[in-house]
Amino acid sequence: MLNLLWILLGGYVAGILLPLCLPRRPEAQRFTAGVSAIVAAGAGIILGFLGLTSSEPITGSLASTIPLLTLAIRLDSLAAFFVFTISVVGLAASIYAIGYLRHSAGSASIAALGALFNAYLLAMTFVVLADNGFFFLLAWELMSLLSYVLVVTEHENMEVRYAGLFYLIMTHIGTAFIAVAFLIFFQSTGSFSFETFRQPGQPLSEDMRTLVFLMALVGFGTKAGIVPLHVWLPYAHPVAPSHVSAVMSGVMIKTAIYGLIRVYFDFFGGQFPWWWGFTVLFLGTTSALLGVMYALMEHDLKKLLAFHSVENIGIILLGIGAGMIFQSYGLRELAALGLLAGLYHTINHAMFKALLFLGAGSLLYATHTRNMEEYGGLLRRMPWTGFFFLIGAVSISALPPTNGFVSEWLVFQSLFLSFQIPTVFLKLMLPIAAAVLALTGVLALTCFAKAFGISFLAQPRSPHARHAEEVPVPLCIGMGLLATFCIALGIAPMVVVPLLDRVVAPLAGISIEGKVLAMDGWALAPVNVEFSSLCTPALALLLVMLSLLGLGLAVVFGGRLKTRHYKTWGCGLNLSPRMEYTATAFVQPIKRVFSTIYQPTVKLETEFLDESRYFAKRRRFEFHIEPIFEKYLYDPLVAFFSTLADRLKVIQAGSLHLYLTYIFVALIALLLLAV
Amino acid sequence: MQGLSSIGSQLVDLCSALLLLTCFAIVAQRRLSACVDLFALQSAFLVITAALVAYLTGNQHIYIAAALTGVIKVIIIPRVLKKVIDRLNVKRELVMYINVPAGLLICGGLVMLAFFIAQPIIPFGFLLTRDALAIALAIVLIGLFTMIARQKAVTQLVGFLVLENGLFLGATAATYGMPLIVELGVFFDVLVATLIAGIYTNRLQDAFDSVDTDRLTVLKE
Repeated sequence: MLNLLWILLGGYVAGILLPLCLPRRPEAQRFTAGVSAIVAAGAGIILGFLGLTSSEPITGSLASTIPLLTLAIRLDSLAAFFVFTISVVGLAASIYAIGYLRHSAGSASIAALGALFNAYLLAMTFVVLADNGFFFLLAWELMSLLSYVLVVTEHENMEVRYAGLFYLIMTHIGTAFIAVAFLIFFQSTGSFSFETFRQPGQPLSEDMRTLVFLMALVGFGTKAGIVPLHVWLPYAHPVAPSHVSAVMSGVMIKTAIYGLIRVYFDFFGGQFPWWWGFTVLFLGTTSALLGVMYALMEHDLKKLLAFHSVENIGIILLGIGAGMIFQSYGLRELAALGLLAGLYHTINHAMFKALLFLGAGSLLYATHTRNMEEYGGLLRRMPWTGFFFLIGAVSISALPPTNGFVSEWLVFQSLFLSFQIPTVFLKLMLPIAAAVLALTGVLALTCFAKAFGISFLAQPRSPHARHAEEVPVPLCIGMGLLATFCIALGIAPMVVVPLLDRVVAPLAGISIEGKVLAMDGWALAPVNVEFSSLCTPALALLLVMLSLLGLGLAVVFGGRLKTRHYKTWGCGLNLSPRMEYTATAFVQPIKRVFSTIYQPTVKLETEFLDESRYFAKRRRFEFHIEPIFEKYLYDPLVAFFSTLADRLKVIQAGSLHLYLTYIFVALIALLLLAV
Repeated sequence: MQGLSSIGSQLVDLCSALLLLTCFAIVAQRRLSACVDLFALQSAFLVITAALVAYLTGNQHIYIAAALTGVIKVIIIPRVLKKVIDRLNVKRELVMYINVPAGLLICGGLVMLAFFIAQPIIPFGFLLTRDALAIALAIVLIGLFTMIARQKAVTQLVGFLVLENGLFLGATAATYGMPLIVELGVFFDVLVATLIAGIYTNRLQDAFDSVDTDRLTVLKE
């Protein structure tokens, strides 16, 4: 196992060094970076899988000359699960990048991009492997900085620089909060080792525990993109190169989920008051609903996907929050179920979101635009991309037989089991959360009906789409790999659940494998078979048989299955792409229904013919959605700090002597204090 | 041995006191080139102090540090500064924020402050050089004060170098010298800092027709 770790480390390090050392031949640089990452990620997948199945955690440590920093790693089942997820997405993205970077790298050097991407994956792997608070923060910071550098790959563009700066600020605020949480642990234990965090000599006081809870929630929540800390996602994810967006959205934001579980369930041993869980549940519900609602209004495909990350993080938090509530009432089985549902959705989201981002990248590669309104009719031109994108869309919309369905079903189950909680308030709140989740699911389905339909069906709306061609093979392999995982995770939960149970059991203190699986492991039945059970292979089989049945009936009763080429009737006019249903039109009803939340501003300008006011020459329609959080939360904050800075400018006189005096006075004051 | 170190200790104290004295002389001096000469003299005293410490403690590497001090601070840096002064053609330090008597009084206060601060630390120090620590601290404070009180960039540079001398004395006195590698690094840094500051001063002259750092306030936002 340690050998695998060395292969992983060696692969990524080779991926960092080789492209930079090679002479300026983009072809070779792209391949060395890609192949190194593929080897390393392959080792990571095996390592993660072995870590999940082994009973004892693997540890290793290396003392460093920097005080308090020990390069300690620990591969327990939770870390192994995340190593596995990161490596799968990393593998797919690396394969994809080999083909993707051929044209669209912009001005950035291929070598630098490859090296940075390898370093990024390495840092992320060490975030989940770290067994020392200092080391964790180091890896975390490295991961954040590298992702920033990757986001600003196309830095000539003003929009990209702005997005990068925004992300940089947000992620550092988050890191500061995490650092405070760890420092509180350090203060009471005198060590940064995670082992002493778990078993502190003297337990933290109640206030301090609450403080750690809040600090970790804000700190990790910023990275995860919990509403209202989500604002950086829709800026940063779209402008990064697509394989980077896939990794950022697919797995980097999941490291925050890892952090939350590590702190709440591992360090605190699952001992916390009910309101912690309720807070997480509430934030999860809000994020899920608002994320999907903003996603619906978005016509930039990658921005749309970024908002969906907010939604799915919300769903993950719903599971974890429910688990936390159950845990605080000592309902260990249910807690384990909630946690398991959350983790299941974590890996699912990693797979389908990465897949969708890669798909969006393929569309960008083929059409050079991210605007959905300029797509159309792409299914005929890019059948493989369309097929993989469809699998991703079906998964994220939580339709059987794909993976999104199973995990959302499990989240629902754990939320409906709230009747076992003694408090009436929570008995009410959990089903409400379930109702919101149901609404979210419907809206997500609408959103992807829009995304897929507008992009792939009907006729091309622009020359970009008309000249699109299928993407090269590496891109298809990358997407295909993730699509396979989406289907596999959906059809075979009976394989996944026992593995996840190994992650959950040490955290919740109980193994529920035997309880969840029914009918010799062919069905999932979290409570009992009569109440609810789910047999996904049967479901898949049923779907296939029903489709075949429909086809058969069509053949028998509907006559010939022959394609007839004939012009579509266009009410006497010639059909043109301008008459197609647009994405804006598609979401118009929803915008009306939820106008309270969207606060839309609609602008309609009509230019009439000179001869008669009954005929319009040209109509312009614009609509904008109020970014509520930016307007009412972030803008006032920024304004406040700007004012503060203006006030403080008094001491910035520009005089060297004055600055020296500050230093002098501070020095003397400190010396006097020390006496 | 006891007798020898007693005499040695007094010699170290004497040299430290001479270092401090040159500090006062620098503060009192109005002419720029004299300031630089005084700095060279102070560095010469520092060389003697370091050599004494090296001899008395038997730490060979302090000899190297002393020799480097001699080459860099007694010979090279004063020459560089003289060249800068020649090029700038400013012989007198005309403007001061604080006049000479007041400056000397403040420096006296700083020396008392340094001794007051060092008082609790001195008993922990080594027998040989314990009083030198307080003097080193006083020199550091006076160096910083010089940087504040004078307006010309050149004298500020001298203040910085005096400050560095104080640090070097402190390091030698309190711990019998830093590891050689650190000392080499520090020497290099000081040399480079002086060169950069020399260039910067010339640029300042070109840009503002003056080396008055107060002019830099116009760069404020």
